[in-house]
Amino acid sequence: MMDDVNFWLGYLTNGKHLTWYASFQFTIFAAVVGGSLAVVFGLIGATLKNSRFWPLRLIGSTYSSIVRGVPDVLFFLFFPLAFEQGVEWVMASQVCTPDTIAAQSAAWPPCKEANWFLGTPEYLILASVSLGLVYGAFATNVIHGAMRSVPRGQLEAARAYGMTARQVLWRIHIRQMWIYALPGLSNVWMLIVKATSLLSLLQIADIVLWADRLGAPNFLPAVGLVHEDWRWRYYLVLFVFYILVTLVSERAFAALMRRAGRGILVEAR
Amino acid sequence: MKKLILTAAALLALGASAQAQETVRIATEGAYAPWNFLDDAGKPAGFEIDLAAAICAKAEVTCEVITNDWDSIIPNLLAGNYDVIMAGMSITDERMETIDFTQNYFPPDPSRFIAPSGAGLDIANLEGKRVGVQGGTIQAAYAEANLAGKNTVVSFGTADQAMADLGAGNLDTILADGAYLEPVVAASGGAFELVGEDVMIGNGVGAGLRKDEAELKTKFDDALTALKKDGTLDGLIAKWFDGRGPYFTE
Repeated sequence: MMDDVNFWLGYLTNGKHLTWYASFQFTIFAAVVGGSLAVVFGLIGATLKNSRFWPLRLIGSTYSSIVRGVPDVLFFLFFPLAFEQGVEWVMASQVCTPDTIAAQSAAWPPCKEANWFLGTPEYLILASVSLGLVYGAFATNVIHGAMRSVPRGQLEAARAYGMTARQVLWRIHIRQMWIYALPGLSNVWMLIVKATSLLSLLQIADIVLWADRLGAPNFLPAVGLVHEDWRWRYYLVLFVFYILVTLVSERAFAALMRRAGRGILVEAR
Repeated sequence: MKKLILTAAALLALGASAQAQETVRIATEGAYAPWNFLDDAGKPAGFEIDLAAAICAKAEVTCEVITNDWDSIIPNLLAGNYDVIMAGMSITDERMETIDFTQNYFPPDPSRFIAPSGAGLDIANLEGKRVGVQGGTIQAAYAEANLAGKNTVVSFGTADQAMADLGAGNLDTILADGAYLEPVVAASGGAFELVGEDVMIGNGVGAGLRKDEAELKTKFDDALTALKKDGTLDGLIAKWFDGRGPYFTE
């Protein structure tokens, strides 16, 4: 009995499993940074959509309608690659000489000096920005709607008190907007959390990739413990992880709602 | 003044040799035991990782082994993310159009069909079966060309995933490298068996490089020639492939 316990403890804490546990940081990083960026992009998008200057309005609504329509997987693959090649294109115009271009056999980049190597940190940041861009488009809509829900009288009263347009925007409009936006934003947040399972598409050794690797059947003692297909057990752990994140998120948003609702009329809540 | 110039020249030479010492990055899949896999510590291990260490010691270069998914392993080589592929990759004419290969470090190896024991598959006249392959392999190309008409060819990201589906009964058979399947059959305790005839495809396994890396290719080729001659390579093959060989020494 004790031997069994020791064996499983040893197995579940070997280097492979420790790497798996450590890889949760990538998922959490992508969710937190992606979520924060989504709110920032959402605020920018909503401000553009509310602008009195029509070209800005056009940019805001184009962003929210186009990016919302593109599947997140596609955008996830497209954006980092396009960004990498864009950077390499700019670098190439600076550092490439005709000699180095002639020496390069691959079609891209134009010369080797212009190559930008993407490792896990770079991909992780690009992935987070992609998440922020995609879900920022949803947040744009949520925040835009929430800003329209703030009672007009509140804004008029603020202007009557002599506040400048900027003061009205930040102290009254955006301050009161949260109570209407938070339910929608909590939805967007849950979508972001779910989308973090896509990280392995960008060569990031994330929790899904490791669950896949650890659960794959192994027939060779030289490789490690011989076992059959255990993938469902490892996926089950991911299941539980995501459910826990959901529970924690619901509590956090409930607390945020209480905070955003302080001092605001009851009928608004 | 003369001394200054000499010092400057020495410094330049030093700088040049420091550049020659740049790390060679070798990509492997890490999911193709015993060729390459991740050991209990989560680090790449296996035949090709041992061989890479031997080659780099012979060629006196510093090497670093990294892992990359199989299906993007050639594109990412071309993009310059690493310099060499050592991932059980067979030398084929199609691949030679985009990348270069060193001489082979594993001889042409027959591909085999694996099936649950006693399934009674008629491999010569396979019809209406589900055949698993790893996508982007020589076996995948062979199955598409020869088996896809009468059977369903199912492509997987890794060989392990294909094996998992065969074990779960979702496939009738898998076509893969004999050197990958033989240890699986041996360790399965009679659950799986190799069926049908050998299928000879590919020209052996070599290390893949970008076409503009002639210097690195020469270094690797010279090191491989030396390792074949002194028996190191045969020793590694015998160690990882259950006493196979020798192939490259008398």
